[in-house]
Amino acid sequence: MIEAEALHKRYAARAPRRFARARGEVVAVESVGFAAADGAITGLLGPNGAGKTTTLRMVAGLVAPDAGSVRVDGLDPAREPQAARRRLGVLGDARGLYPRLSARENIVYYAALQGLSREAAHARAEALAEALDFRALLERRTEGFSQGERLKTALARALVHDPANLLLDEPTNGLDVLATRALRETLRHLASPAGGAKCIVLSSHVMQEVERLCDRVVLVARGRTVADGTVAGLCARTGEADFEAAFVRLAFETASA
Amino acid sequence: MNAAWTVFVKELVDALRDRRTLAVVLLSSVAMGPLVLALLSGLVASLEASAERRVVVAVGLEAAPTLRNYLERQGLRAEAAPPEHEARLREGQLGDAVLVVEPDFEARLARGEAPVLRIVSDSSNRRAEAGAGRLARLIDGFDRERALLTLALRGVPSEALRSVDVQATDLASPRGRAAPFTAMLPFFVIMAVLYGALNAALDTTAGERERGSLEPLLTNPAAPWALALGKWAAVAAVAMLIALLGVASLLPARWLIRSETLRALFVFGPAEAAAFLALLLPLASSLSALMMALAIRARTVKEAQASSALLILAVSLAPLVAIVDPAGDRPWYPWVPALAQHALMNRVLRGEPLGAADVAVPLLVGALLTLLCLADLARRLRGAGRG
Repeated sequence: MIEAEALHKRYAARAPRRFARARGEVVAVESVGFAAADGAITGLLGPNGAGKTTTLRMVAGLVAPDAGSVRVDGLDPAREPQAARRRLGVLGDARGLYPRLSARENIVYYAALQGLSREAAHARAEALAEALDFRALLERRTEGFSQGERLKTALARALVHDPANLLLDEPTNGLDVLATRALRETLRHLASPAGGAKCIVLSSHVMQEVERLCDRVVLVARGRTVADGTVAGLCARTGEADFEAAFVRLAFETASA
Repeated sequence: MNAAWTVFVKELVDALRDRRTLAVVLLSSVAMGPLVLALLSGLVASLEASAERRVVVAVGLEAAPTLRNYLERQGLRAEAAPPEHEARLREGQLGDAVLVVEPDFEARLARGEAPVLRIVSDSSNRRAEAGAGRLARLIDGFDRERALLTLALRGVPSEALRSVDVQATDLASPRGRAAPFTAMLPFFVIMAVLYGALNAALDTTAGERERGSLEPLLTNPAAPWALALGKWAAVAAVAMLIALLGVASLLPARWLIRSETLRALFVFGPAEAAAFLALLLPLASSLSALMMALAIRARTVKEAQASSALLILAVSLAPLVAIVDPAGDRPWYPWVPALAQHALMNRVLRGEPLGAADVAVPLLVGALLTLLCLADLARRLRGAGRG
């Protein structure tokens, strides 16, 4: 269960010249709030630069919000980062694998940092490789991995401590059709009772993706939550049959209105 | 603590997997000391050889039988200078200073007109310079003999020519005499440690950020201080390994020394190696921490390299302070990292004993610097996601 309430984040604008003073501020997230339930996939959908990544980083506790609050299973990541991080698996926009380590070593490293024992870590790495179908890659160095292989390894790494909540930033970026399908299956499984009924929050700017995968959609535009509901519900609200048309109306017309 | 250990093991494995970099660093650190020593000893050996060569290279000596007679009585053999000796001296091809004798030398000498003897050398040609001094002393002897003879013929006692009796006492210990040649070794060992740690230090900090693996790492429940501690321990371990290998490579270096005298003077046994390590290990630890604290501020490895270039420059210039300063070791030297180690390692090479205080001050400075940099690193890591 992840709850975010009225999150707000602004950064000092980068100075135009090296020694010039920074001028003003850039608001990355104006006010974003949502509640993601367990056993469901919640999608943050929005155009580029809408503030999705910053929102996810605030939820992950990597960035402290200037205003608003985050609760991960009732824990505040800003106050209890350790406890909150144990309940959270994060797949950031940068996959960030260690190229000189094998896929197994990458996964086991995170498992150890999460406090798993050696045996448990290796068993978990093997189980995840089996589930995500990259068993053959396990002992290879990640140096020459393709996008899809990288994603699988990074996802396994994020899942290694079996977190109840999962944050995914643009998980299908750079994946081909087959890999995207496989990922979709995996995520559906993880959200189902058989997969642990996890609370999954993912961000995307691809609406077909969100339409196919997400149980609920949170529309983010210009740093604000503009709509929230199921795909069918959002379509009904705008009176559009097509989700894309509904998205455009909600994201661009409401925001400018 | 478990997390710090996990990070340490991972970073060490990662650093040791970087075979190519590691091989270059190891090769240069292990080979550098002995190589420099071998080259220096080659120079010393050739200086010694020309000192022992009982030869005077001269132009027009046939016009000066008196001088020739004197030289032969000193057991020296005259050799005609090769053609174009000036150009060859300038280019360093000729390793002997050349004595140029005027054609009317003998006649002017007989008339007491002080004929001119020119000693031709090039001060940038080290071998010739050493010979020039010897040649000057030789001619001085000839001059004195002529004067004594002239005075003796007139009934003046030879003591009248010597109002003082000059006696030189060399206070340098036998090993101190080798110091001009071995003074560069501590510098090379320090630089090897610095370069050895450089790659690992940059890779675990700025490299982590550049690869995009820093943010995922920070989503783990491990505390920032544990990450900083583990990373630093791995980098320091690599730096210390280089220090160990560099120092160990000096142990057999004696056998590479070609000059007999230098070999006798250069004493580097287990005691000296232990003293070197006592000085180098704290330095390795603090330099690693310092480089990491600098590098974590950078967004890319390239940016970090620029800032560490400054550090490397500072460390390589530090020994120059001791060389340029004519007053010898100052009381504040031990408080300056790199400079302290350089000065103290040279004392070890000169065979002077090190007291506990000599080792304690740099150790204290190193420990403090390490702690400060680690605290800064941990603070930066905590805020890394918030940039």
